[in-house]
Amino acid sequence: MAVAQVKRIAISDSPWPWLLPLTALLVVFTIYPLIYNIWLSFHEFVPKSRGLKFVGFSNWIQLWNDTRFWSALGVTFLYFIVALTIEIILGMSIALLLDAELPGFGALRAILSMTLVIPPAIAGMMFLLMQDPQFGVLPYLLDQLGILGKGTPILATSSLALAGVLVAEIWQWTPFMVLIFMAGLRALPVEPYEAASIDGASAFQMFRRLTLPMMSKVIAVAVLLRGIDLFRVFDYVFVMTSGGPGTSTYTVSLYAWQQTFSFLKWGYGATLSLTSLVIIMVMANLFIRIAKVRW
Amino acid sequence: MQQSAFARTLRTIAGWCVVGIFFFPIYFWTSVAFRDAKDIFNWPPIFVDFSPTVQNFEQVFGISLGFGPPAAVTPGGGNFYMGPRLWDSIVVASLSTVLAIVVATLAAYALSRMQFRGRHEYVNWVLSTRMMPPVAVAIPMFFIFKQFSLLDTYIGVILIHGLMNLPLAVLLLKSFFDDIPVEIDESALLDGASRWTIFRRIVLPMAKGGIAASAVLCFIFSWTEFLFVLTLTQTGLKTVPVVSSTFVTSIGTAWGNMAALGAAAIVPAFIVILLVQRHLVRGLTMGSLKQ
Amino acid sequence: MNEHDRKAYLASVTDRFVRGEMDRRSFLRTASKLGLGATALGMGFGNRPFMLNKAFAQEQLAPSPDVIAWLKDVGKPFAGTTLKLATESTPPSNAINSQLKKYFEEATGIKVEIEVLPLEQVLQKLTLDVASSLGTYDLYYIDQSWSASFSQDVFDPREQIAAKTELAMPNYNIDDFLPALVDGISKYEDRWVGVPYDIPIFIMIYRKDIYEKLGLKAPATFDELLTNSVAITKEMGPTTFGYAGQMKSGHYALECEWTSMLWGHGGSIFNADKKFVGNDEQGIKALEYYTKLREIMPPGVDGWTWDGQGQAVAQGVAASMLSWGEFFPYFDDPTQTKVSGLCEAVIPPQPIALRKPEECGYGEIPGVGHQGGSSLAVSKYSKSPDAAWLFMQWATCADTQALITALGGGTGPTRASVYDDPRVKANARVGAGTTRHLPVVRETIAKYMGSEPDLPEWAQISSDTIPVGLGKYFAGSYGSPKEAMDDIASQIETVMKG
Repeated sequence: MAVAQVKRIAISDSPWPWLLPLTALLVVFTIYPLIYNIWLSFHEFVPKSRGLKFVGFSNWIQLWNDTRFWSALGVTFLYFIVALTIEIILGMSIALLLDAELPGFGALRAILSMTLVIPPAIAGMMFLLMQDPQFGVLPYLLDQLGILGKGTPILATSSLALAGVLVAEIWQWTPFMVLIFMAGLRALPVEPYEAASIDGASAFQMFRRLTLPMMSKVIAVAVLLRGIDLFRVFDYVFVMTSGGPGTSTYTVSLYAWQQTFSFLKWGYGATLSLTSLVIIMVMANLFIRIAKVRW
Repeated sequence: MQQSAFARTLRTIAGWCVVGIFFFPIYFWTSVAFRDAKDIFNWPPIFVDFSPTVQNFEQVFGISLGFGPPAAVTPGGGNFYMGPRLWDSIVVASLSTVLAIVVATLAAYALSRMQFRGRHEYVNWVLSTRMMPPVAVAIPMFFIFKQFSLLDTYIGVILIHGLMNLPLAVLLLKSFFDDIPVEIDESALLDGASRWTIFRRIVLPMAKGGIAASAVLCFIFSWTEFLFVLTLTQTGLKTVPVVSSTFVTSIGTAWGNMAALGAAAIVPAFIVILLVQRHLVRGLTMGSLKQ
Repeated sequence: MNEHDRKAYLASVTDRFVRGEMDRRSFLRTASKLGLGATALGMGFGNRPFMLNKAFAQEQLAPSPDVIAWLKDVGKPFAGTTLKLATESTPPSNAINSQLKKYFEEATGIKVEIEVLPLEQVLQKLTLDVASSLGTYDLYYIDQSWSASFSQDVFDPREQIAAKTELAMPNYNIDDFLPALVDGISKYEDRWVGVPYDIPIFIMIYRKDIYEKLGLKAPATFDELLTNSVAITKEMGPTTFGYAGQMKSGHYALECEWTSMLWGHGGSIFNADKKFVGNDEQGIKALEYYTKLREIMPPGVDGWTWDGQGQAVAQGVAASMLSWGEFFPYFDDPTQTKVSGLCEAVIPPQPIALRKPEECGYGEIPGVGHQGGSSLAVSKYSKSPDAAWLFMQWATCADTQALITALGGGTGPTRASVYDDPRVKANARVGAGTTRHLPVVRETIAKYMGSEPDLPEWAQISSDTIPVGLGKYFAGSYGSPKEAMDDIASQIETVMKG
């Protein structure tokens, strides 16, 4: 029996030789940092002696009482939700718009992907220059359009600073979503659409009844991949606002970086990072379950 | 679906406008690279009508482009000479991509073809290695690298960038392998071919496009990475994102030079994208359309 | 190129530089390629002196032969060593890295690798190096606000001179460093944390043409600064404003400007009991003054560090600033700015009252001329401390400093003798890399300099607690200056408790 034979062979070969390089690399380079950070979170760096001192749970207690941390967590969540929502809606709209063979659309899709190759650190500088209230083009254009008053310092106004950073974020990553969604749209079967259009369905109905359900897994994967990176956002805030004004754009990653490198609080920095890791893991796993992603 | 000519025109215009908005910052930034400070900081901002200069590029790449005044630039002179750094970026991004793709292809094949207990959890674990904030990885890495003399070396940076890209590469490649019918493997197994032969002779060639697409993404993520390179290099090498902060000096930021480097750095990565654009669009579904 | 062509070409290049058609960097490179050195720059190009002074120029274009001879002699055993230094991108570091280090490398066979970074990244590098005691860097660039943190990690240069007589540079003359700078930058408790390496310091820079047009005098007091600035903004706004600040929330720049105002109103950061007193009567007055001044500044000021502040003056948006003197040579560069020759430098405004250093804690020295200097020191973890010590002496000796000042574009020297060096003085004319502001810098250092306190927690307080608090205040999160300062005070207390 051919099938049984195949099964036997398939069972007899183990995946582990294939997975060995990956597993080994990931264990060495991720498990060690994880253990190191857990260990570090129970210690604190003592500048005087240049050494680490065991401090028990005090870093964790400090975390619980640290209003700066909670506000950073809030900012991170806000950033995460706003960016993800806009990137998905905008990305889907643009993907639908560009998914056609019209004059120059091939070139447009290529041009759109250019935003991805600019390092976020440089993109942050770009938008910093463009948003300068005195010399920048963005305030100028917004003023011409009558949206913002002349010379409004976007990045230095508490209520607008996060929006200013988000402009850079959304500009850079929406095209990533477009690429993914475009790939999904291209892979959709044609038959259901033909049937629907014979039934006289409108474009919107087709999108809602056919495209969205069939694209749900693609969207789920996009949310997962981008969401993980969004929660760790560092480059844009680091370059554009350094967390300001006040604490209105402090994210957890930036706060951890600052505690670690500027204030030599290695233990507390590790505590912040671990907390962030746990939150991402919980959210990601919940999402994988709810969205029924099976690998 | 047939759209009316009017709708098609409207859609064309809308497409161009939307992409135009996204392209505008790139245009503006590139134009900054061709300006001197007076034209960068003007009010109202100048959009097209500036007096172009290639001086920023000449300083950054230590070459004379032969416009206007005779060569006033010597290679190797000045802090802003970044030619070798662009090369560093290309080397790191290319080789780390090779590393990630080789390791990930092997793993992805097994994950796609072999049923074993805990496969779903294993993939989740692989994905979770991307969840650690980079700053928390950078410090222990610094110590490991110092221990193995990897600090400030190409091998070190290539290694860390390869690792950083593994989760993404594994997920992507697995989806490509999933798209290739299992029956092909099965009939080859029946003919007595080994897994390795099947992988090398049959599956790899069929997944070429997908591998190219995954490679591009790895390349881009390495090309744009900042914190690891900052922490793990000193003077031996540096990539473009890190070195661009050199232009932030104590007496102001050299915006023109920074823009020149930034604009030049778009070119190599964009070429890579263009080469595989077709596969990129097809490949990013990550197999998730298969139920 | 034959000799005649070379001269003719040089003359034309020089002419273009003087007329502002060529920037300083390109000029320098062309010039050095053709065999024209550092000093020719210092000759004052206005009257085409190059040909006249050719002999002098060629003699002076490189480090002095004595220095080179000493380096050759003493550097031999260390040939083949590689030294690493991480530094902020400041004029001296840039001049050494791009123009001068080759002389050192040729003479000694020691290779010098300089990593140029923004300030906060330098701190990150040092932190990792020190915390791991790894000695990946041989020399440290130490900002004055970090000297307490790193005082145990570097050699005291006085001890090095005493311990290694065979390596000591003849005529190094460590007493030549301006005493005010040694106290303010390099000293922590009894130790010298390296030697003063560069000295950006607040001076008053204003647009002479605008002041004259409106019939104003250079601001001599804080009151005058305010009334002048108000008058200019009223008259010329919103195209030109009276004053530009460096008020980016959460950034060290904001803290710098604030301390200058605080000290100028008789306040101080700490009192003799080492308690934060920025919220006392004088502190509130200072913040009220700052608030008033803020009202006439360009709207973008809340997002600017000294970078945006400098651009505002350079592009003619603001008519004055009390800020780093290092900007002045840039303002005079006609290829980069619209204000070449229009700016004037004077000493900072006289304080309304001034607290004595004895009334302050942690070595704080009140003075309107806020300094942001840094030291250069040899790391205790260096694998080749002797070679590093050679480099450090060379990089900070009078001859090198004079070259740095001429080449690096009018940065403030840290040695008394360099201010009088003919190569430096010759550059005191309008144009890129001018040194015409240096007498003001020197006077400010001697009489009006203010230094921040030294304590291990200062890095956090100065780059986070205070500027974040002030940023919140200017964004309107507090009801009154008093409320803001009291809140900052309580936060500082928390930080100090650890």
